[in-house]
Amino acid sequence: MNAFDLTEDQHDCLQELINVAMGQASDQLARYLDTFVYLKVPSIEQVRSEHLFDSLNHDLKATAIVSQGFFGYEGIRGEALLMYQPLDSNRLADLLGYEADELSFDEQMIDLSSILTTTFLNVFASQIDNQMSYSAPRLLSTNLTKVNEHIQQQSFNWDFALKVKISYQVTDYSFNCDMVLLIPEEAINNIKAVIDRILADF
Amino acid sequence: MLNELCGDLSNRLNTGILILDNNFKILMWNRFLEVHANKSDKQVIGKSIFTVFPELPKKWFERKLSSVLQLKNQSFCGWEQRHHLFELSHSRPITTDSDFMAQNCTFLPIEVKGEVERICILIEDVTDVCHYQTQLNKVLQELALSNRIDGLTQAFNRKHWEECLAAEFSRAQRYKQDLALVMLDLDQFKLLNDTYGHQGGDKVLIDIAEVINGLLRMGDLFGRYGGEEFAVILPNTGLTGANDVAERIRKAIASNAIEYQDKNINATVSIGVAVMDEYDTRYEDIISRADIALYKAKNSGRNQVCLAKERIIS
Repeated sequence: MNAFDLTEDQHDCLQELINVAMGQASDQLARYLDTFVYLKVPSIEQVRSEHLFDSLNHDLKATAIVSQGFFGYEGIRGEALLMYQPLDSNRLADLLGYEADELSFDEQMIDLSSILTTTFLNVFASQIDNQMSYSAPRLLSTNLTKVNEHIQQQSFNWDFALKVKISYQVTDYSFNCDMVLLIPEEAINNIKAVIDRILADF
Repeated sequence: MLNELCGDLSNRLNTGILILDNNFKILMWNRFLEVHANKSDKQVIGKSIFTVFPELPKKWFERKLSSVLQLKNQSFCGWEQRHHLFELSHSRPITTDSDFMAQNCTFLPIEVKGEVERICILIEDVTDVCHYQTQLNKVLQELALSNRIDGLTQAFNRKHWEECLAAEFSRAQRYKQDLALVMLDLDQFKLLNDTYGHQGGDKVLIDIAEVINGLLRMGDLFGRYGGEEFAVILPNTGLTGANDVAERIRKAIASNAIEYQDKNINATVSIGVAVMDEYDTRYEDIISRADIALYKAKNSGRNQVCLAKERIIS
């Protein structure tokens, strides 16, 4: 246990905010992509910096990771990691509504990542009367071992982060990916303040 | 007053600002774009973005912007995926070789009463970043290559060659494919060195490597195994095929006079050939059989090819 642990009420409230945001986001995505998008119930947990690698590795054997930073008012910020498994690139272009030869596979992944991240976080932000800005999405690596090395070699300047994991499934295109939102220590306190305000309003 | 200031500011930014309506007509742009596109307001304002910038990939662009309009999301397009969208001049025309400005573009929805009626495109000049990143990638590639190459002969070095053999060995085992190994040793290299000096010896090694390289097929992996010893991995090749390759190499080297300081050096090689068999458990097993065959070729008078015996285990 540590100072950043959420109380049961705080945890439930955050879970509820995320569930609602997920529902709206999947609805928007389904309209835009013209196919059903299934989202599994998200998990919320805290990770220590030294366990980040194990925790990511445990989730799935990703072959590519796209990172996108997000930041809103009241010090709410973090990094979204979209983790992809091996998949058929032509199907991904189909899903996005592009011709396969119009854009490279990397660009397809980055485009989809940006759509998934911003759609979810925009809805989430509007629920807490906030507004998000985003950095340009970046492909960290298309090779997991390199991502592992990248993450393992870093000495982080944070101890704890809040980790929210949401799995996306697009069955019509037999496509899966995980979105992992990592919120650094400082921002957790800011989120807790927002949650407390919401709880007080009830 | 503040409006004026904002207008002035947008014209001083080193970032392009372009505002479109939802039919892709240009409503506004700033000085940065005016200068780098070298077009006047009259040619641009009120016109379709596809008329002003015919270089845009129209279908892709429309789909990209549809996500901004429909999902009210920010969207991005980075130089690493697309070097540029707009053909613009840039700020390093002299010291880089880039024809057009490398760009990071951001597409922002501008909502009016809950509906997206305008799209703002921000265009950053990242020619600099692109230039240095490209240089860095080139150096990293060269570094990776020089880690694998033997400096004298330009063949793979021992370490990399063995890694290749290990990979080919497990691939051949997995898919039940043939795999052959050719080991060559330059005959009487010590004598060559004593006669022509070490530089003469080096010249022989360089020329021989070149001859061998010219005789190999795509997919064959050629390395310098030791001092005057070379080795070739032949994937998907049986004993007969490997013997053909080995003979071709032997004859080519024997008939190729190497010029060194107005003298002709005649070099020959002894060759041992082995193929993977079902009893091999490690790639080293093939090396030892090829090695034994090589020494047999040496002991039988050099300048010849010897095949490793097929193992019959009852």
